[in-house]
Amino acid sequence: MLKIKDLTVRYKKKIGIKNLNLEVHKGEVIGFIGSDGVGKSSALNAIAGVLKFEGKISYKGMSYTSPKEALEVKKQIGYMPQGIGLVLYDTLTVSEHLDFFADIRDITIDAEFLEYKQNLLKMSGLERFLQRKAGELSGGMMQKLSLICTILHRPSLLILDEPTTGVDPLSRIEFWEILKHNSQNYGAISIVSTAYMNEASKMDRVVLFDQSTAIAIGTTVELLKEIEPFVYEKTVQKFPNSLTVGEATYSLEKLDIPHQTPILESLFFINSLKHNALLPALKISQKNLAKNTNKITIKANKITKRFGKFIANESVDMELHRGEIVGLLGANGAGKTTFIKMILGLLPIDSGELSLLNKKITSAKDRQELKSKIGYVSQHFALYDDMTVRENMLFFALMHKISRKKAKELIGEYADELGFREYLDDMPRSLPLGINQRFSLAVALLHDPIILCLDEPTSGVDAIARRQFWDLLQELKIKRDISILITTHYMSEAEFCDRVVLLKDGKKIADKKIAEFYEEFPNAHDFEEIFLEYYR
Amino acid sequence: MRLRVIKAYFVKELIDLYRSKLIFMPYLVPLLIVVLFGYGIKMQVTGVRVLILDNDHSKISRTLISKFEHSKYFNTTVENITEEEGLEKIKKASKDMIVIIPSSFEKNILKGTQSEIGVFVDASFPSRSSTMTNYVQGVIYNLAQDYHIKSSQMIQLNNRNLFNQSLRDEEMIVPGLIGLVLLVSPAILTALLISKEKEKGTIFNFYSSSVTGAEFLIAKLSAIFTLTSLNIFILFFVVIFLFDLPFRGNFFLYWISSELYILVALGFGLLVSIVVSSQIVAIVVTLMLTILPGFLYSGMLMPISSMNNEAYIIAHLYPVMYYNHIIYDTFLVGQGFDSSLNILYLSLLAGYALLFFFVGLFFLKKEI
Repeated sequence: MLKIKDLTVRYKKKIGIKNLNLEVHKGEVIGFIGSDGVGKSSALNAIAGVLKFEGKISYKGMSYTSPKEALEVKKQIGYMPQGIGLVLYDTLTVSEHLDFFADIRDITIDAEFLEYKQNLLKMSGLERFLQRKAGELSGGMMQKLSLICTILHRPSLLILDEPTTGVDPLSRIEFWEILKHNSQNYGAISIVSTAYMNEASKMDRVVLFDQSTAIAIGTTVELLKEIEPFVYEKTVQKFPNSLTVGEATYSLEKLDIPHQTPILESLFFINSLKHNALLPALKISQKNLAKNTNKITIKANKITKRFGKFIANESVDMELHRGEIVGLLGANGAGKTTFIKMILGLLPIDSGELSLLNKKITSAKDRQELKSKIGYVSQHFALYDDMTVRENMLFFALMHKISRKKAKELIGEYADELGFREYLDDMPRSLPLGINQRFSLAVALLHDPIILCLDEPTSGVDAIARRQFWDLLQELKIKRDISILITTHYMSEAEFCDRVVLLKDGKKIADKKIAEFYEEFPNAHDFEEIFLEYYR
Repeated sequence: MRLRVIKAYFVKELIDLYRSKLIFMPYLVPLLIVVLFGYGIKMQVTGVRVLILDNDHSKISRTLISKFEHSKYFNTTVENITEEEGLEKIKKASKDMIVIIPSSFEKNILKGTQSEIGVFVDASFPSRSSTMTNYVQGVIYNLAQDYHIKSSQMIQLNNRNLFNQSLRDEEMIVPGLIGLVLLVSPAILTALLISKEKEKGTIFNFYSSSVTGAEFLIAKLSAIFTLTSLNIFILFFVVIFLFDLPFRGNFFLYWISSELYILVALGFGLLVSIVVSSQIVAIVVTLMLTILPGFLYSGMLMPISSMNNEAYIIAHLYPVMYYNHIIYDTFLVGQGFDSSLNILYLSLLAGYALLFFFVGLFFLKKEI
């Protein structure tokens, strides 16, 4: 049905995707899996006929080699580009969107269409919000509306670029229900890219992407079976050509250790091993920081934040202890970022009390002395794009009143420990996200903080870098006894935290150790299921 | 070409403009420009410090002096000094102008022979100086009428400045402002509406559907065209009633040329939006491309015939000049369709509109 032959996308300076070959059959759901910048979007844009490419794509006998030739095929294609609510007009209501898309797609409006439309609205739960403007919908609802608009003309080829990234798990489930329904009832081909490994189980076949190439194509069962011989139980022993991340050790050579069942992420780890594209071993040096401070580093008592009528945080209590990693989890707009910003003093607190390192915070002056004890890595890595990595680090060090000589020593030290020495004279924007993430962490650690706040530091970062980043955080906790407060939208990462605080609509709905969560829901397979129990 | 697609975009654009309050922009900005500039740029000169050197001391020369004294434009003094001393005063900027009445002034006039009045004007501001010369011309004309003589026989002016016929600024500036705002506001709105889709990502709805480039452009442009066309009438009334301008020409010519001109302006915005992809850059670039040339090369501040080579060519390449010519004609002259130059300029405007649209269409790609 859909045949992709030698698809290559070239940009001015780099290659988007190299020689992709793929055949997809009617009704199949294909998953494009990989981290940011590995070529998924390039491939999808090319298939959707909105990007110049080399090679040949043919669908239902119509073939095209350029966007221009794809005009006829586009009638059958539904394409949803990457980005939440990207194709929606903020000022238009839900029902106006449906009218607009029906018109530009030239859909015949008959009883059958109206029924189809009604059904979509019902499944997505948007029925009640027909008169609401798109700009006022939540991220999850926006994505569901985008999907409905994209499949309104019943495309037989559906292309969705990371439709669920950043969307809360509940909306994600509904999203997949609509999608499954569409492919089962209308036999549409769906190509869906995702950064969530666990969504791979929803696909008929997956294509794994790494460094602009498709590294493997097949069903998840097939692919996992292939790598079984390389996956071993976790070991502390060092072997050449091996890698230990998370709960397993991977080696291409036979080891004398019992095997372990691979997980999807293992596919990427093995691929890195095969291509010798391993990250340098990272470590954190031991430091004794302010031994005499209190056990409790952050104590928030009924903190509330309002934006006009909207309550972003309502009476949230929380404690953070020395040597503890606490994960702040919640759907989009649950108030995670707002909470972190209040703790850092980036947003004023409307009511409630906050103590940092046993000192009650009442004014900006109280914070001034504490600034040197807190480190922060923001959602988008607040680095200056027009300064090199070294200049950025020097700038932040000097801001913290570290002497120039000492700063240079520190920069060298962290560059070696966190493995970014070779990138010191590059501009941040030209670096892979994983490098940016580690260097942002180094910036936040320059002044030896006791509390470290991280706002979604792992989003968009590839599987190995993500795993290694968590290993780093664990090491930081142990070797420096610091407290870490971290937000993430990867539910699977909750497992790496000591304790998880769940937020919903600005309120705290749970605050427990990971083990306690599993005791409460013994049937849960992973944390996402626990999360959903709380959110339902 | 599917009408339904065009209608969908048309309606969407209007809703969007209305809800984002941007719908007021095409009316407020032009009004603001016309009113502020119309009142603000005054080339009218009053209180010219004129020094009269009377070498005749006759009845007619005294009548002439009293005419200067009774004019609100002049601040007259009569002194008995030499020409050189008078010129010194201009150099020191204590006088703006010297008028020298020759010794046999009255005798020559009564004999009907020519006489020469020396006029020295401070020309540090060319437009101001030519206005001042005009004033003197007016006074002398007035005097000549009293004595039933043709003024051209009577005087000669010692003057190298431009000849500016108008005594009222509004008539010079305001019609040109219509040419400016009808260019600026549709161009900005067009650049904004297309770059907005690019910036937000909604342009993908066009990229990924079978909507053709022509459909997309016509849909987008027709919404803005409809909105800004209303300005043709609003501005007409503002100019007539607020600035008391005469309207001597053909209203249909005014209307049709303005519509064509708006199409040219849409083309400007379209070309900008094809190159840039963010709204803020679109605004800045469009402003630069429209306001500055709209002022400088429109003939509003400086007659195009007096421009030097490069400026003369630029002015002719830029469509503003053609529209302004028609506008000045409809308001002040009134030759209308009888003037073949008006017809030529009208067809040039249509040509520009078509050219911009097709260039825009050619470069508008349905891909990233």
